[in-house]
Amino acid sequence: MSDRLMLLTYLAGVLLATSLHDLRVLGAGLLLTAALCGRALPRVLRRAVLAILLFNSVVTVSYVALSLWQGTFSPRYVLLVNLRVLLLATMTFLLAERFNPFRAFAFSPSLLFLTSLCYSQVLTLRRLFGEFRHAFRSRSIVRPGLRDLYRHGAATAAFFMRKSVSDAGEIARAMTSRGFFND
Amino acid sequence: MIELERVGYAYGGRTVLDELSFSMAPGEKTVLLGVNGSGKSTLLKILNGLIFPCRGRWRYKGREITARLLKDRDFSRTFRRQVVLLFQSPEAMIFNPTVFDEIAFGPRQLGLEDVDDRVRHWAGRVGVDAFLDRPPFDLSGGEKQKVCLAALLVLEPELLLLDEPTANLDPRSTGWLVDFLQDLPVTTLVTTHNLSLGAELGERTLVLSEEHRLIYDGRIDDLLGDREKLIEANLVHRHRHRHDGTEHRHYHVHQWK
Repeated sequence: MSDRLMLLTYLAGVLLATSLHDLRVLGAGLLLTAALCGRALPRVLRRAVLAILLFNSVVTVSYVALSLWQGTFSPRYVLLVNLRVLLLATMTFLLAERFNPFRAFAFSPSLLFLTSLCYSQVLTLRRLFGEFRHAFRSRSIVRPGLRDLYRHGAATAAFFMRKSVSDAGEIARAMTSRGFFND
Repeated sequence: MIELERVGYAYGGRTVLDELSFSMAPGEKTVLLGVNGSGKSTLLKILNGLIFPCRGRWRYKGREITARLLKDRDFSRTFRRQVVLLFQSPEAMIFNPTVFDEIAFGPRQLGLEDVDDRVRHWAGRVGVDAFLDRPPFDLSGGEKQKVCLAALLVLEPELLLLDEPTANLDPRSTGWLVDFLQDLPVTTLVTTHNLSLGAELGERTLVLSEEHRLIYDGRIDDLLGDREKLIEANLVHRHRHRHDGTEHRHYHVHQWK
C-alpha cells in the first residue's frame, strides 16, 4: 500500500471510529487493525495501551463513581469509550510503524517542507527528552517519590512547552527570512 | 578507580564508541577531547551507569558495572552518590521549585540531617547563595549550570563527570569554572571539543577520533606538539589568513573566549 493511500485509509478509519457507536463494529475494527499489525502486534498494542492507560483510567473511574452516585451507570458506555480510544490509539501506532510521511506528502512541496520541519523538531525534542530522563535517573539516589515524579514531570512539560513555542516562533522567522511567505 | 576494557557502544546500528580501554586513578583530573559526535557524552553516560556497553566491560572500584548490579538498591545508592554527572544542558537537570530545593534534592534523598548547612555551603562556594529562594528556571544559563554543579557537589562525590561544562558560560564564568575545578579535590573527567580550553582543565588528556576510537592518552602538552594527531582528531582547522597584505593557509587553534 502506498503511503498516501495508507494515510487516507487511516483518516477514514478515524472518521468511522469517532462517528460509529456500535460496539460490534468498533470491536471488528480493532480485530482488523490487530490483524494488519502482523508481527508488530505486541509492540503496537503495548504502545497503544501505555499511551491511553493513565488518561482512560482517570476518565473511567471518574465516570463510574459519578454515574453510580447519580444512578445512571451504563457499562456499555464505559466499554464504548475505552474501545474507541484503544482502536484510535492502535490505528495511530500502526500508522506510525508503517507510514513514511515524506513519501505521503511528496506531491506537495509545501507539505513536504512542513513535514521536514516537524520531523526535525520531533528528533530534537526526542533527543532532549532522553537527556531529561537520563538526568533524572542520574540524580535519583533512591527510587524517586511521587512528589519528585510530579515535580519532574511538570518541569519537563513546562520546558517542552516553552521550547516548542520558542522554536515555532524562531522557525517562522527563519521561513519569513527565506521568503517562504512571500506568495 | 575506573577501568575500561575494550568498551564499545552502538546505537541504531551505528558505532558510537569503539574498543575504548583506559583507566583513571583517584584524584586524577582528565580531559576528554573530541569533535562533536565523537562519543564523548555517550562515554560519560556509560561511566554514570545510565547506559551500558554493548561490548567490553568497565569497572568502578574493581566492580564491573552492569544494569543488574545497579538494580541492587544498596550499591545503586552508593554509586549514585559517588559518581555524578553534570549534563551539557542544565535544563535537563532542574525540576525543583527553588534553587534551595534543587541543591537539597540529593541530601534529602539520603536523609542527611545537616541539609540546610550543606546547601548554604555549596551555594556559597559556587556563588548562587543570593538565588536560594528563586525558581531555578528563571536563572541565566550560567547560573543554572552553577546550581546544577552545587546540586552534585553537595553530595561530596568521588568522581565528577562534566559534559561540556563551559558550553553555557560567558568568558568570566568560564575562567571561574577552570579555577574552581582545579581547586576541587575530586577525580574529574571533563569533556570538551575546545582544545585550548582542554589545556586548562586537566593535565592528562584522552582524545576520541571521529571514528569513535581512543587515539591519544597522555599529557596535554605532548598532544599540543603532535600535529598529526591533532589533524587526525579534527581538533585543529585551517583557513585563509591575511598578514600584512599576504594571504596564506595553515592549521591552527583559536583561543577560547
